[in-house]
Amino acid sequence: MRSRRSTTLTIGMLALLVYFLFPLFWLVVASTKSTADLFSTFGLWFAGDFSLIGNIRATFTHNGGEYARWMANTLVYAVISAAGATSLATLAGYGFAHYAFRGRGPLLGLILGTVMVPTTALAIPTYLVFSEAGLVNTPWAVILPSLVSPFGLFLMWIYARDAVPGDLLEAARIDGAGELAIFFRVVLRSLVPGSVTVLLFTLVATWNNYFLPLIMLNDPRYYPITVGLSSWSAQAVGGTGANAELLAAVVTGSLLSIVPLIAAFLLLQRYWQSGLSTGAVKE
Amino acid sequence: MSLAVSRIGRRRLLSMTGAAAAAAALGACSGPEREEQPPAEPVGQADIDRALTTPTTITFWTWVPDVQKEVALFKKKYPAITVTVVNAGQGLDAYTKLRTALKAGTGAPDVAQIEFQYIPTFSLTNSLVDLRPYGAEATREKFVDWTWGQVTGPKGEILAYPQDTGPMGMLYRADLFDRHGIEVPATWNDFAAAARKLHAADPGVYLTNIAANEPAAWHGLMWQAGSKAYTVNGTELGLAVDDEAARKVADYWGGLAREKLISTDPDFTDTWYQGLNSGKYATWLTAAWGSVFLTGSAKATAGKWRAAPLPQWDPARPVAGNWGGSTSAVITGTKNPIAAAKFAEFLNTDHEVTKLFTTAQNFFPATKALLADPAFTGAENAFFGGQRVNELFAGISGTVDVGWQWPPFLDQASKDWTETAGKALTGGGDVAAAIGAWQERLTAYAEDQGFTVVE
Repeated sequence: MRSRRSTTLTIGMLALLVYFLFPLFWLVVASTKSTADLFSTFGLWFAGDFSLIGNIRATFTHNGGEYARWMANTLVYAVISAAGATSLATLAGYGFAHYAFRGRGPLLGLILGTVMVPTTALAIPTYLVFSEAGLVNTPWAVILPSLVSPFGLFLMWIYARDAVPGDLLEAARIDGAGELAIFFRVVLRSLVPGSVTVLLFTLVATWNNYFLPLIMLNDPRYYPITVGLSSWSAQAVGGTGANAELLAAVVTGSLLSIVPLIAAFLLLQRYWQSGLSTGAVKE
Repeated sequence: MSLAVSRIGRRRLLSMTGAAAAAAALGACSGPEREEQPPAEPVGQADIDRALTTPTTITFWTWVPDVQKEVALFKKKYPAITVTVVNAGQGLDAYTKLRTALKAGTGAPDVAQIEFQYIPTFSLTNSLVDLRPYGAEATREKFVDWTWGQVTGPKGEILAYPQDTGPMGMLYRADLFDRHGIEVPATWNDFAAAARKLHAADPGVYLTNIAANEPAAWHGLMWQAGSKAYTVNGTELGLAVDDEAARKVADYWGGLAREKLISTDPDFTDTWYQGLNSGKYATWLTAAWGSVFLTGSAKATAGKWRAAPLPQWDPARPVAGNWGGSTSAVITGTKNPIAAAKFAEFLNTDHEVTKLFTTAQNFFPATKALLADPAFTGAENAFFGGQRVNELFAGISGTVDVGWQWPPFLDQASKDWTETAGKALTGGGDVAAAIGAWQERLTAYAEDQGFTVVE
């Protein structure tokens, strides 16, 4: 295959790259500054004093080290939610793709319809339900709603339909394998790229989730990093008793909070790349 | 936010309209006058003593950092009562949670930190317990008059205890004033002349910044000018955010903004912090807490600032507005109203506790005793070149207009202000016309919510 280059496209891509990296660059620069430098030196370049280490220390020690606890909470919420949502989406997607059962069409339509409903809109009804069940202000209030990902199911349905040939299943059945054995020993391997994509999507979604934990959790011990940082930020600018010193910790905390996500993407890169392009070419 | 407000519901309001109509038929006049209603039967001392000696746990939602220090003093005095402090976030975050919990009927705290301006919003939904039966009226004399007005409901109910306040003054850069020969302006006329002179002398400097995203500061300036923008009486709502005083404020700042003699950067943003540090703004029209805030956020300028009262409309009769400050309120549905009410009272009236708030949290106090306490007022503030800033603001607190009231839908009022007047300020538009549009929007909204709007 001949490789083609387009100068226009390259420049366009570079422009987009700068556009997307710009806020990140600001964040990196800003987190190396003390609160005083943050507001008295040029925003897009480093100040004379390099305060990153001091900022990190301040971030992790402020108010009894609650930042570390929030990071751990987020990690737990995100990993459990993402793993759970991925398993459910993989199982269900495969089921919809390869089993014929009564009501499959309408059911699938119903689930796909819920993709349209933003989870933020459901947060308050969910709160009312959870409050009846006595689950408000517990980690379950964040984890349970995140276990269901209609979009993940949709992705897995398409993926399972295209990546798992019906003939393969027929062959396995003729060889005498049970349905569960077929799923775990034959199908699962070919579904991995799709699953990893769903895993990353739900991981990011739970990691960044703000409104749901905001209203569900009142106790800072259960806060994820999003709500925690926002509470620090409010404390830093909130009028009476405001603690402007905290701003440097808010900025540094924001930078640190995305490091695990970046790591997850880099580590799982080879899987999700193939997952994203699946279905692009019809055989 | 508007979602939360609309959840107040039309039906409850309509059911209240009946009562209001009956009151009107009895000859009660409409408008700002308040119809006193006798409090519920007072709780006896024996019941209070019993409640305070019975082991009880109450929950307290507050964003005040390190408030455990003050709470510990309560525990020392009343060992039977355990107070669980929950930092449920500050400002809007906290209110979102509180509304959700109130709506669900479970999970709300016994006592909550609420800012003055949100008291009507929560009292409209009957979410705040009237503290009169628990002896609130006996504490009235301890608080500065205007703060008591802020926590008093339309029927005379006491809805919270004032905790800290934000009387407004003017923080200014003495070095910039000296360099350009600017006198500290005593009137708004002087202020406008100074703005012109300063900006001509150095086009990179503005006499002040009126943040186009900060309805709270604007309300403070309306307050100072004597506007009676909101008057609540049951479901009857006096709405005049464009009354004569408000129009005066709008014309004044609109004119200065159009001439580009002041800047209109959004506050508490990167640009704004940079502006405070670089000397782009020669004054900050702010509350007493602003003086504390600057010491952390504008370190580079330490020693260059001084404080003064706001310039006046009528120098013969100095008046100030207020921006910020908060209260402790007891939340409806509490199973331990006596313990909750007594905790809120202790936290805001006990001399040792209120004094601790001024040193540990740098609160600007609401009690007369502290505002007259030489230990508080005598403090020399190095950031302000050794000026006794507390003393100055204590004096200002005594001049805050007592008549100002907040609307029961502050979120909407703030949002609409930003979209009308805020936009006109930044765009160099007609701000007086913009507050007319603000009035129209709010009227439509209030009527939609079931209020009877009177001008």
